[in-house]
Amino acid sequence: MTPAVGRILALADKEVRHVLRDVRTLYLALAMPLVMLLLFGFGVSFDLEHLQVAFVDLDQTELSRTVRRRVLADDGFDDVGLLADGAAAERALVAGAAAMVVVLPHGFSRDLARGRRASVQLLLDGSDTVSANQARARGESALRAIIASLAKVPAARAASRLELRTVTRFNPAGKSAVFLVPGISAYVLAMVAVLLTALTVAREWERGSMAQLFATPVARFEIVLGKLLPYLVLGMLAVLLVIAVGTWVFEVPFRGSPWALALLSLLFLIGMLGQGLLISVVTRNQMVATQVATMSSMLPSMLLSGFVFPIENMPTALRWISRVVPARYYVAGLRGVLLRGNGLGELWVEAVLLLAFGALMLALSTARFQRTIA
Amino acid sequence: MNTLSMLWAVVLKELRQTVRDKRMMALLVAAPLVQLVMFGSAVQLDVDQVPTALVQQDHSAAAREHARRVYSDGTLARTRTPRSADDALRMLETGEAAAVLFIPPDFARDQARAQRPRLQMVLDGSDPNRANVAANAVAMHLQNESVRAPRLGVESRVLFNPGLSTSIYMVPGVSAMLLLLVTTVVSSMGLARERERGTLEQIQVTPLPGLLLVLGKIIPFAAIGLLDFVLAMVVGAYGFEMPIRGSFALLLLATAIYLVNTLGAGLLIASLSASQQQAFMGGFLFMLPAALLSGIMTPVRSMPSWLSPLTVFNPLRHYAEILRAVLLRGAGASELAFQLSTLAVLGLVICCFAGASFRRQQG
Repeated sequence: MTPAVGRILALADKEVRHVLRDVRTLYLALAMPLVMLLLFGFGVSFDLEHLQVAFVDLDQTELSRTVRRRVLADDGFDDVGLLADGAAAERALVAGAAAMVVVLPHGFSRDLARGRRASVQLLLDGSDTVSANQARARGESALRAIIASLAKVPAARAASRLELRTVTRFNPAGKSAVFLVPGISAYVLAMVAVLLTALTVAREWERGSMAQLFATPVARFEIVLGKLLPYLVLGMLAVLLVIAVGTWVFEVPFRGSPWALALLSLLFLIGMLGQGLLISVVTRNQMVATQVATMSSMLPSMLLSGFVFPIENMPTALRWISRVVPARYYVAGLRGVLLRGNGLGELWVEAVLLLAFGALMLALSTARFQRTIA
Repeated sequence: MNTLSMLWAVVLKELRQTVRDKRMMALLVAAPLVQLVMFGSAVQLDVDQVPTALVQQDHSAAAREHARRVYSDGTLARTRTPRSADDALRMLETGEAAAVLFIPPDFARDQARAQRPRLQMVLDGSDPNRANVAANAVAMHLQNESVRAPRLGVESRVLFNPGLSTSIYMVPGVSAMLLLLVTTVVSSMGLARERERGTLEQIQVTPLPGLLLVLGKIIPFAAIGLLDFVLAMVVGAYGFEMPIRGSFALLLLATAIYLVNTLGAGLLIASLSASQQQAFMGGFLFMLPAALLSGIMTPVRSMPSWLSPLTVFNPLRHYAEILRAVLLRGAGASELAFQLSTLAVLGLVICCFAGASFRRQQG
């Protein structure tokens, strides 16, 4: 064993003792990711099960009442009442009592019986875009189907001339948890890893024990590595936990190569821990370090990683910025391995980019260490 | 000295100390605005430009015309042309394409002979939303191609946000979240820092009552919170064309009640933690579920039925609902009576807990 390795291990050993003595660090590293994963996994869902629907029936015929009854027979639509007119509908939407109001106009059933164009109006609360989008799609298709069946329009006849067969791969049931959990894992790990090093090293600066370390014959790079190693082990444990919970609780499949997953996770953690280290070296203050750490890890890994919000739809400038967000490549890697059964053959680009980011962070932290001690 | 002037002295001292610290000010004012702009512009929930590979096995002009029209509205975006069907499926595996559209050989001939020509699509279901959008785009195209009399129309009208712009939806919610970050996390860490450094004890020997001192420390954060709120509204209105339809006075009132909640929570967390690290983690532990279970990102309605009732205890949920209702729907106080009163009650409860916990600490 060369002396350098010995010194690094000694530093790592010291850090491990810190961690073991302070349960809170363990909590931050292991319990927090789990709590966050569960919260996100259950709390973040775009699958709307219940939509509050109100009706305005200006037609007042047997047919219009049947339309209402049929729509409400669907479990996905909750009845919030029959309103008198358009003004009442508007009030219900302003008060947030209904997400959608179906207006059946005067002469609706007469027009339908005479084969004229009968139109139904859907009023949607656009202040909640997620609900409005889904309400529109589901409301329109439900109404079309119900009215077509009531009016006995041979809607299927003409449409069947062209046929579409779809096959959905990787997540045939279309569960949003299967899609979200890999992204959530990356997000959670990014935040915890950055915080782990940002907090612990900034504390050493504040308390002055870092200066003591500099008085010993340890090289800067050795300090960086010695600090990094224990947290890397902790981080990998967190990855294991998060993936295990993801596959058991949220039934996310694990189709690809575990080695590819391990390698990507390791590279990603090095980058994130390095980023935390760099922050603490630069700020030397716990309060500022935590804020910078959460800002620089939480925000990009949530917004620019493609975890929930599709990157293709962003403005060009943000699409470019997203290219330097490591979480983006880790999310892609996790989804590739877990859902699409990828191995390193498909994911080597991601691995190389993560490696580059990690190397850059470590180099920068080491460089900043040197400058500040002179 | 009477109580008010003592309080004012503490507030002034704290305000000076905070304003002088440039990094703190950056965190308190600039950082929230940066986040607001990021959230407002990065988040686009409506999906288009789904990368779709086209496997054209029928090279007739009619089939090509079909392909052109499927892609024409921008919902699907052409990827590179796959070399073969296998190559296209491979693109799905590497994530290069999210959907593959097959136009089989003899497609046009079948259509001409009225033989039910078939298109096939293979979708990457890992993002269910995107897969649905892609399949719907092709299905819509097919529906448009098949001629039939338009006998029924369903016409949708979206109120309050006709373009369904995600920014207008996100900005109010994100403002609420950022206020929480600034007021709860930063104030609790500030108090914890004083405890770590022992300056809190120093001031305690002065003839100031303990609670007054704490109040004096909290009030500057309330002022900064209100400033942040006004800034967020300005950025939202001018940067993202967010409407302000309701009464601004009502918004300020709701914000003040909300700040009682968030600062009370900050105080409670600070009184329970001995160090900045603990305060930060406490703040985080409060903020994360509050932000997630508030309906800011995803509707409360879509949460599992055992989870959604719990959101009643979440001040952030009520405040975000008030912001959206007043800003976008122009709602007034009578429509928001439930949210406003719940918010006030929650604030009172949190402050009682915080006060009790603080007094116990000081023994």
